[in-house]
Amino acid sequence: MEYGTIEREIYIDAPPEIVFEVVSSPGHLKEWWPDDAAYDTVPGSPGEIVFGDRDADGTVVGFTVVDARPPESFSFRWTHPVGEVAAPGNSLLVTFDLAPKGQGTLLRMTETGFREMGWEIAVLEEQYREHNTGWDFYLPRLAPYVARLESSR
Amino acid sequence: MSAGVTASGTATVDDDLWSAIGDPTRRRMLDLLLTDGEGTATTLSQRLPVTRQAVAKHLGVLDRVGLVRAVPAGKEKRYRVDDEQLARAAAQLASVGSTWDARLQRIKRIAETIHQNQQD
Repeated sequence: MEYGTIEREIYIDAPPEIVFEVVSSPGHLKEWWPDDAAYDTVPGSPGEIVFGDRDADGTVVGFTVVDARPPESFSFRWTHPVGEVAAPGNSLLVTFDLAPKGQGTLLRMTETGFREMGWEIAVLEEQYREHNTGWDFYLPRLAPYVARLESSR
Repeated sequence: MSAGVTASGTATVDDDLWSAIGDPTRRRMLDLLLTDGEGTATTLSQRLPVTRQAVAKHLGVLDRVGLVRAVPAGKEKRYRVDDEQLARAAAQLASVGSTWDARLQRIKRIAETIHQNQQD
């Protein structure tokens, strides 16, 4: 099985405890990503996130916490169909690692599993989020792949 | 599948290009073609869990968007990856920001606002 990985790092001028809350709690998640989120921060507990209007033509996808160790690490799987158990092959794994740095926090994000995933998830989110262009969503997912293609030329 | 860029006004050809590369089987086929240099529907189908007919169809999609080129040879068409088109795809990729960048910026803004409010 092959994996693609997206990695990002960002410095945040707030202590890890606060950053952990923002990346992990359903209430905050809604502020920076989906339109709705319902899950327990208990590993393995099935949950969901919603793009668009749940009762209209919105899309609901699975969201399962994999690990939660405040304030240093939070990981979850998403994109699996609601009701299915999250596993490699049906979902993307997102990991946030938090490290104190100066007065703030160095937040490191990795997302893996792209190469096993279909295209549909990119399409669905593209339809519901406020992208300047659809490519804003498509392209990051292709980055690891194309970078690899480029390097193998 | 509506690999939509409807609101963006992005050229249709690009839409087709990314739709073509968005299918896992086709990405796998591109991988194999890059590794091997070239391949036919028959040789590719031997290494993929899909029929020769399915592979031929996928090759047709990749051919239409210019990601592969058919090389006339013998009874069966041989395909190679088109380096120029692949480079073009990669260049588009490099020029556009990431959705995760946007999400992380929002995370940063929210966390820093909370922190500031707690200190006030």
